[in-house]
Amino acid sequence: MKRLPRWLRSGRVVAGLAIVVALLAIALLAPLLAPHDPEEQNILAALVPPAWSPDGDASFPLGTDSLGRCILSRLIYGSRVAMTVAVFASLGAMVVGTILAHLAGYFGGWVAWLIGRTVDVWMSFPPVVLSLILMTGFGVGLTNVVLAIILVDWTRFCRVLRVEVLTVVRRDYVAAARLLGFSHARTLRREVFPATLPLLVTILSLEAGIAVIVEAILSFVGLSVESNRAAWGQMIADARQTIYQSPWNLVLPILAIFITVFGFNMLGDGLRRTLDVRVSETRRG
Amino acid sequence: MFLTVFSLIVRRFLIALPILVIVSALLFAALRLIPVDPAAMSMPATATNEEIEAKRIEMGLDKPLPVQYAYWLSNIAAGDFGDSIHYRRPVIGLIGAALPQTIELAGLAMIIASIFGLAGGLLMFYFRGRVMASAIDFGSIVLLSLPDFLWGLFFILVFGVVLDVLPFTGRLSSGIEQPVVTGFLLLDALIRGEPYVAWDALRHMLLPAFALGLAFSPTIMRVLNSSLLDVYQEDFIQQARLRGVSERRILTRHALKNAVLPTLTLMGVQFGFLFGGTLLIEVIYSYPGIGNLMIGAVRDADLPMIQILGLTYCVAVLLISAIVDAMTLILNPKLRTPR
Repeated sequence: MKRLPRWLRSGRVVAGLAIVVALLAIALLAPLLAPHDPEEQNILAALVPPAWSPDGDASFPLGTDSLGRCILSRLIYGSRVAMTVAVFASLGAMVVGTILAHLAGYFGGWVAWLIGRTVDVWMSFPPVVLSLILMTGFGVGLTNVVLAIILVDWTRFCRVLRVEVLTVVRRDYVAAARLLGFSHARTLRREVFPATLPLLVTILSLEAGIAVIVEAILSFVGLSVESNRAAWGQMIADARQTIYQSPWNLVLPILAIFITVFGFNMLGDGLRRTLDVRVSETRRG
Repeated sequence: MFLTVFSLIVRRFLIALPILVIVSALLFAALRLIPVDPAAMSMPATATNEEIEAKRIEMGLDKPLPVQYAYWLSNIAAGDFGDSIHYRRPVIGLIGAALPQTIELAGLAMIIASIFGLAGGLLMFYFRGRVMASAIDFGSIVLLSLPDFLWGLFFILVFGVVLDVLPFTGRLSSGIEQPVVTGFLLLDALIRGEPYVAWDALRHMLLPAFALGLAFSPTIMRVLNSSLLDVYQEDFIQQARLRGVSERRILTRHALKNAVLPTLTLMGVQFGFLFGGTLLIEVIYSYPGIGNLMIGAVRDADLPMIQILGLTYCVAVLLISAIVDAMTLILNPKLRTPR
């Protein structure tokens, strides 16, 4: 039997991957899984406690909110917003940040100066404040959330990867590729980029978790998706009004956010340990 | 050494100026994307179209964007930061009252984060290679996955609602008069010699500060642990062992001195993030700081307020990073010799 690759034998990677894949499946299959329409209001069944408490109703497994909407269905549909943002915002930030990091690290000179100063300007701004300001400018909507997070978080990739590119570019095989007459584009794509891939995948996973948190923050203050769409942050904001009557309304979306971010963080940490040769060597020493 | 620190500060100031100008230009441009009319918003609802048009010309909104920007910038240089549309009061007064509250909260939170972070990092290192270390490491990932505002809500639920032991709204209990000397509430209460007021203010800060502190501690924990691991690879540790220095002394006198430097740099960066990350915590705890002002301004599309608050955040972050750089320079003799 063929042995599993090293990164798949790590418990953290497997656990993280399992959580992420399960959440992606829930998000994709939301219409099949949700027992109710997430927006369906039922004033007669407002603030029903979860099914396991004595006053619970079996048709609302996790109870209802103050407008009588099914919490479980809203959590399931909310995962669509969270996972869309996690996937597309982190990929977008990765593309922008990686390209700029490679350009800066490979060419140096004024290109590196310009990109470095741009990162400085971005870094002089707290990320949450910047995303809030951008969302005020863009207006609500899922695409705008993704765009705002990309515009804020590309620096995370750029800063870390630029250092990595700088060390890779100095290696002999990159010089050899140039001496063989390969173009800049080919050298970057085929020689430099693959060497930075392990680090890239690690940051990507951590960034997906950060994107979920930022989306929750934005939807908490009502600056994420349209208000007729279930999002976890918004559920938390709604549940604050009824914190005394039904604490579950507050706890459940908090748990949902925690599990999602935890999954991405486990995956990222596991990948960092197994893929980053430098780290695993120091650890064993 | 004084000279190197001084030249660093001058250098940072020269870098900070263009950054501030660019940030203010970006802020200005980004906020002009919003489909609201500042002229119409700053007039009473009964104003006629002609009056709004006159106000628009008075505010310079009929001019091209760069001219408007130059106008705004020259006003700021002259000390006129504009009026908040929502409060109809000068922006600078509102921010001036709120800023000390946020500084106090962020400071307390940073102290809590440092205690948890440094203790956790040392413990993780002490148990290195054992099951306990993995357990602490796992715990730090759990901490890392719970952002501050979720801790905040959770604390309200547990300590405020279920146990009912700590207050969770505002800055002081009702009926207590706020002493005003410097604007820093905790400090003012102590200056005035009113320990009861100080205690009340502190009790109101405990939950939000712990929520922030816990959320920011795991990164410190992990960096301290990994830089300690790195330092222990160095030859001088082996040398010290050969000289018969005790393990405890090696850790406290030799390794920690070196390992704490990268941790300190990170803590500076963290403090910058923390300062800009108090927004939701302030909203959740109805804490009268600049984060609460910012969220309110964003909700009301209060442009003058957002612009100046944005600049305030920018200045704060630049200032914090300059202070941290100066501190590392003072603490690390290797950096002191002129290059």
